[in-house]
Amino acid sequence: MRSAGRSWVLLAGFIVFYIIYLLFGALVFSTIERPEEERLRHELASLKEDFLNRSCSSAAALDVLLLRVLQAHRSGVSALQNTSQPSNWDLTSSMFYANTLVTTVGYGHSTPLSDLGKAFSILYALLGVPFTMLVLTACVQKLLFPLVVGPVGLLHRCGLEPRAACALHLLLLLLLLVLCFFVAPAALFSWLEGTWSFLDGIYFCFISLCTIGLGDYVPALQPGQKNKPLYQVSVMVYLFLGLMVMFLLLRAVHKMADVHGLTRLLQLPRCEEASPEDDHRPIICEPRDKSPTQPLQSASQTTYNTINKG
Amino acid sequence: MRWKTVSAIFFLVVLYLIIGATVFKALEQPHESSQKEAILDEKVMFLLNHSCVNSTELENLVKRVVSAVRAGVNPSANSKNQSSLWDLSSSFFFAGTVITTIGFGNISPHTEGGRIFCIIYALLGIPLFGFLLAGVGDQLGTIFGKGIAKVEKMIVKWQVSQTKIRVISTLIFILFGCLLFVALPAVIFKHIEGWSALESIYFVVITLTTIGFGDFVAGEKGRGHISSQSGNSNLNHIYLNYYKPVVWFWILVGLAYFAAVLSMIGDWFRVISKKTKEEVGEFRAHAAEWTANVSAEFKETRRRLSVDIYDKFQRATSIKRKLSSELGINATLSQEMTPGMRTLSVNLGDERECYPNLTMSLSPVPGALTRNGSLYLNGLSPDYAAERRDFPVGDSLK
Repeated sequence: MRSAGRSWVLLAGFIVFYIIYLLFGALVFSTIERPEEERLRHELASLKEDFLNRSCSSAAALDVLLLRVLQAHRSGVSALQNTSQPSNWDLTSSMFYANTLVTTVGYGHSTPLSDLGKAFSILYALLGVPFTMLVLTACVQKLLFPLVVGPVGLLHRCGLEPRAACALHLLLLLLLLVLCFFVAPAALFSWLEGTWSFLDGIYFCFISLCTIGLGDYVPALQPGQKNKPLYQVSVMVYLFLGLMVMFLLLRAVHKMADVHGLTRLLQLPRCEEASPEDDHRPIICEPRDKSPTQPLQSASQTTYNTINKG
Repeated sequence: MRWKTVSAIFFLVVLYLIIGATVFKALEQPHESSQKEAILDEKVMFLLNHSCVNSTELENLVKRVVSAVRAGVNPSANSKNQSSLWDLSSSFFFAGTVITTIGFGNISPHTEGGRIFCIIYALLGIPLFGFLLAGVGDQLGTIFGKGIAKVEKMIVKWQVSQTKIRVISTLIFILFGCLLFVALPAVIFKHIEGWSALESIYFVVITLTTIGFGDFVAGEKGRGHISSQSGNSNLNHIYLNYYKPVVWFWILVGLAYFAAVLSMIGDWFRVISKKTKEEVGEFRAHAAEWTANVSAEFKETRRRLSVDIYDKFQRATSIKRKLSSELGINATLSQEMTPGMRTLSVNLGDERECYPNLTMSLSPVPGALTRNGSLYLNGLSPDYAAERRDFPVGDSLK
């Protein structure tokens, strides 16, 4: 049991380190991008002033203005309101950006403006993406037993044969997933964001959880959004949990394909219950020829004492 | 997976993409053209009323421009020879970005039908692409594995250790792959798209990790999108029609390469962790075995020693009884053991051990030999025993 406890501790340490990594990225992005954003904003404001000071504008001047406005909009800076706008690169927004970078969703609603920001994004992503995948697979590994293997075994013991048990379990899991991670959040989003419909919410949830991340809908970007930091953090948590559940679903589908013989048909790698020597299968069940690698147990080996007493 | 299966899946994916492209085009293009017309009208109106622009009008215009741009229309260029965002090759590219989960976002569906179809399309397409990726990654892995095996054979002659060979070959694989799939395309993009070196590498990395922001997208220049140089709009559309599918093919192979590298690293970690677990387990097992053996030996020695001592005392007692009976001394003498007697008795036993012949011959002839041999061998003078005239009884030792 000690190894089981240790693996949980390791996982917790992993997660803590992942959060620290995100925070670190957020800080760096914030410090790099914020000045650039300010500069762009000032430039846009002065451009607008110039335009308004003229009595009659020409088409060429208009085009120049439009060009700059569009370029600014592409980088996430809006030229619309005169009032102070929450920055796209304050701490929670930068963390949100780092999260989209590292989970490979990549909305693109705010992108690095400076060269240094771009270079740092490259390095951050190269390290962060495998790391995130590792964390997610580790979490899924932990969840696999109680959520997939356990229920399937239960159904199997209730009398269903393996194929039917797998299929039924997959259906139930899918239903639960759709309810918890698509329907409910979509309703929530369409309520929190005034301009989103329910379909828009579902579209956003789907596009985000598949890590496509088109970026046409991004939450917490409405002007005058209340509790923006809290909202962004909760969206990040939702993304992470949703990704984990998607991975779990993938594993369940893979396992079902295994059971139904599809993977053998398509000659794909089997869904291995990787590291079975983990918590759930006791070592004693291992075959005898593995004894050299087992740590000795108190009663397993005969000692001279026992021989002599006999 | 075999080559045939991989190519079959590849054709299936291409077919799927073409179907998606046509559907997207049918859904989105009408919407796009209506948007285009609307923004053109607005622009014309603005130019007619251009005297004394007030801010509200400007704001409205900007809003309209921005929303038009999100639909992919650029009002700042001549709208006559602008190619559509949803023509076949661009729709193909968009469908590709959806099923590879890159999702640039420079194009996105705006109609409700387009969005619903996008969801269903992705639901089916992503697993399909996953299979393809697995297959291509497999093939790539075998190719590189064979190459690495050859390199390893060459290096083995120099008698380098196995792990070193592995590490070197992996490094070669990674470097070669980086060159082919990252550096080379970056140079090509820099040249064709006119980006800086950093921007090209940024685009390559962001695309191949499937992040896909969309601030830089290959193949946008021909549409006269937001680019300051307006003189390059004479790129013929034929070139553009081939450029995008080639870019998508590069994305496929590059993704497979990334996936292969990641799975190799994952395999390594698994092997290393298994080996380490085994080794650690073995080591622990050996250590435990050793300690168990040692303690068992120790216990055994102690036990044997105690049994021996008991044995010897028993024999000593019987011998001395016989001796005493021979010598005619009362067997019911006091049973106190002087240290001398104890040493005597113990030494008796020891000497018997060292001289097994003596012990053998002791039993049949207990009398004379014992008296002489053992006592004499003790180094004790025969006078001592005779003087003391008392002999230990073995029972007192228990």
